[in-house]
Amino acid sequence: MKKFKQFVNSFLLVELLKGLMVTGRHMFSPKVTIQYPEEKTPQSPRFRGIHALRSYPNGEERCIACKLCEAVCPAAAITIDAGVRESDGSRRTTKYEIDLFKCIFCGFCEESCPVDSIVETRVFEYHFEEQGAQILTKEKLLEIGLIHEEQLAQDIEADAKYR
Amino acid sequence: MGKVNIEIDGKQLTADVGSMIIEVADEADIYIPRFCYHKKLSVAANCRMCMVDVSSLPKAVPACATPVADGMVIQTQSDRAIDAQKSVMEFLLINHPLDCPVCDQGGECELQDLSVGYGEDVSRYVEGKRVVKDKNLGPLISTDMTRCIHCTRCVRFGQEVVGIRELGATGRGEHIEIGTYIESTMDSEVSANIIDLCPVGALTAKPSRYKARAWELRESPSIAPHDCLGSNVNIHHRRGEIIRVVPRENESINEVWLSDRDRFSYQALTEGKRLLKPKIKKNGTWQETDWQTALNFAVAEMKRIIGVSKGEEFGTIVGNNSTLEESFLIQKLIRGTGCNNIDFRTRRRDFSKDQYSGVRAGFNFPLQDLDTMDATLLIAGDIRHEQPLAALRVRKSTGFGRAMAINPFDGEYNFRLYQEIQPEPHLLAQEFACVLAAAAQKQPDKINAEIKDWIEGITFTEQHAIIVDELINGEQSCILMGVYVQEHPQAEVVNWIAEQVARLTDSKWGYMTQGCNAAGNKMAGAVPNQSEFGGRATPGKNAKQMLTEGLKGYLIHNCEPDVESLWADQALANLQNAECVIALTSYEDGRVSDYSTVMLPIAGSYETSGTYVNVEGRWQSFSAAVPAPGESRPAWKVLRVLGNLLDTSGFDYESSVQIRDELKEKQENSRDKKESRKTPPELHAASEEETKRDSLGLYMVDPMVRRANALQQTSKASTHPISISRVTT
Repeated sequence: MKKFKQFVNSFLLVELLKGLMVTGRHMFSPKVTIQYPEEKTPQSPRFRGIHALRSYPNGEERCIACKLCEAVCPAAAITIDAGVRESDGSRRTTKYEIDLFKCIFCGFCEESCPVDSIVETRVFEYHFEEQGAQILTKEKLLEIGLIHEEQLAQDIEADAKYR
Repeated sequence: MGKVNIEIDGKQLTADVGSMIIEVADEADIYIPRFCYHKKLSVAANCRMCMVDVSSLPKAVPACATPVADGMVIQTQSDRAIDAQKSVMEFLLINHPLDCPVCDQGGECELQDLSVGYGEDVSRYVEGKRVVKDKNLGPLISTDMTRCIHCTRCVRFGQEVVGIRELGATGRGEHIEIGTYIESTMDSEVSANIIDLCPVGALTAKPSRYKARAWELRESPSIAPHDCLGSNVNIHHRRGEIIRVVPRENESINEVWLSDRDRFSYQALTEGKRLLKPKIKKNGTWQETDWQTALNFAVAEMKRIIGVSKGEEFGTIVGNNSTLEESFLIQKLIRGTGCNNIDFRTRRRDFSKDQYSGVRAGFNFPLQDLDTMDATLLIAGDIRHEQPLAALRVRKSTGFGRAMAINPFDGEYNFRLYQEIQPEPHLLAQEFACVLAAAAQKQPDKINAEIKDWIEGITFTEQHAIIVDELINGEQSCILMGVYVQEHPQAEVVNWIAEQVARLTDSKWGYMTQGCNAAGNKMAGAVPNQSEFGGRATPGKNAKQMLTEGLKGYLIHNCEPDVESLWADQALANLQNAECVIALTSYEDGRVSDYSTVMLPIAGSYETSGTYVNVEGRWQSFSAAVPAPGESRPAWKVLRVLGNLLDTSGFDYESSVQIRDELKEKQENSRDKKESRKTPPELHAASEEETKRDSLGLYMVDPMVRRANALQQTSKASTHPISISRVTT
């Protein structure tokens, strides 16, 4: 009996049709493949991309050189030199560098920052063409911050109630 | 002293009657939180943080102000104690700003630490916080007075330890402020200790302001190189750069304090104009070169000048702050070439005893005993500016003892003088001789024939007799000679008198020296007439002869004779006229680039390993805290290579420790030569011209201090502390 069932199934190509049914179902179901780079996946407000240093609306940098991010960084990717700013005697960084080769994008720096200065943007598409370009200097970081300020502010706002 | 038995946190302890709970707890390693209590200061009990629970008492009591009693049972962690401490913390945090991230004390703040343990996470206080205007205390200390919690440690330090009340509290309650009463800077030479004392970020160091966090600093022990005490310090550095220097506790030298000079001189190393590469002057312009070329050039010049003049026309000046190892190598090197002109004493006029060899320390008693002297006689000592921390010790002794002074110059003292005699500078020895005469009369059975002859015809006054009485009656007494004594043309006479008076009155004697390693330099043999540990050597020219007579070639190690020496102008002219000046220096600014022919960059203090021998004869070795910048190398290495290039034997050392061990061995083998002073030196009149005091001043003593920016901006930098005699003739 068992043998007969097997013979009919194979004679009528039932197995094949079963397989084709799966194929057919997927042919008409909605597609999940993203056509990168034309299309992009949605991102969480907590997305951890390249870093940025934020500024206040009046242009004043937020960073107060407390060095908590440097201390918390598990990859020792952040190097900070600090000092007294000549103009007003406030505590500011004279050097703020992130080595992106060392960085593991854990987001601890963002979490530790008491003034929401160092953040990670949603930008993950970047490349380097020269030796040393992987080191983000203070100027670069501030510039990235300026470009993405609107998005960054929104993201922090969105995440505020969970912090 | 009676003993009582108490119990703290279940531990059975025995304590002295009258000691406070906190002292006993500290001894037993039981931590009680505190802000105002400090073991070196009086008890104020105004922060109330150290509340502990004593079972026999109805309320929690402050541990710092409660003496122990027999059978006391103390709980530091009970609910009652913790409750009291939490309440105190809440009060303290009412007005203290909560912006630790911008505070320079963040990470090493006692308040921050304790608020983690005892603070609430939510403040119940909604009213505005008080704000206090910052005070300008000068270039060394920066203030954030809003952060002050009024523990008054800084006030008590000034009042009790220094004896100069520079800070005080004005106002009451909410309006209390720590300040200088009327607006002024803090000018005392140990002022910056309040930075260490301040438990919060109200008083912080200005030169290192905002530069680093406590957690990123590495700590290396070292020895401060600016006075003959050899204060113990810790160098805090990060990525090879010195960030700050803080005291390392050593009860027998610097206790827990540090003079401003030792604390801030590191700035010369980080901000001074450092010589980074060897340089040779060719046709009047400086050219950078490599070590090999520079060393070969120096060696060729040395060989030429020494060869032609048979060593007569070449002189070596060693800096006061050279390490023992450096001095030893340089004298070995120069004597190996057949030249005997070497000296470190650029501030000495009396060379009369040079022909007697001998090595000994400047003190015949431990420095620590200065605390307990019943009578201290200071001879021409500006102790406050020369050895600031020794002055604190003398001041401590004046709480029960008496300090007296024979000082030709206007001294600034931070203690009260019981007797003061101000002779004319050139009559210092004569004046002191009167004390000896008085002592001889009081102790006739102790004098010998020489003294009897020597004091023949010397009369003394009532004042001299009082001084001698004090020295005799004091259970412990000492005669302390300042740096000026060694500059006096009759230094040996004064030293001899001091020792005789000390013997007659059963006192101790000690003489302070310029620089941090005078004893070590002498031991190492960096003097004409004797090699290491009083070894025999062909006599050569001394510093005065070398600098005033003018030689063809000079080797200058870590000093600037044109500034430091007593014959600065002549030295400058002679150095400029010399054919070749080889300078081993860490800095390229100053006149060194003017007169030298070749400059070899050597590591500065804290960048080299070595040993300093302090005034008590204590050997203190240290290793390099940070690497030397550029191509500069530790001087002992440079000298070692120079020695090899000059074909002198015995320069195969691999480390400075090896040199030190060799010296230590030599010291043990050298017989302790008792100095034969059988024949008393002659007491002749010194000329007034010769006794002029060109004091270097507090912040001019060595090349390093002269380049420390913050120190140079202080009000004490420009004034020579003592220079005028108020005696009118």
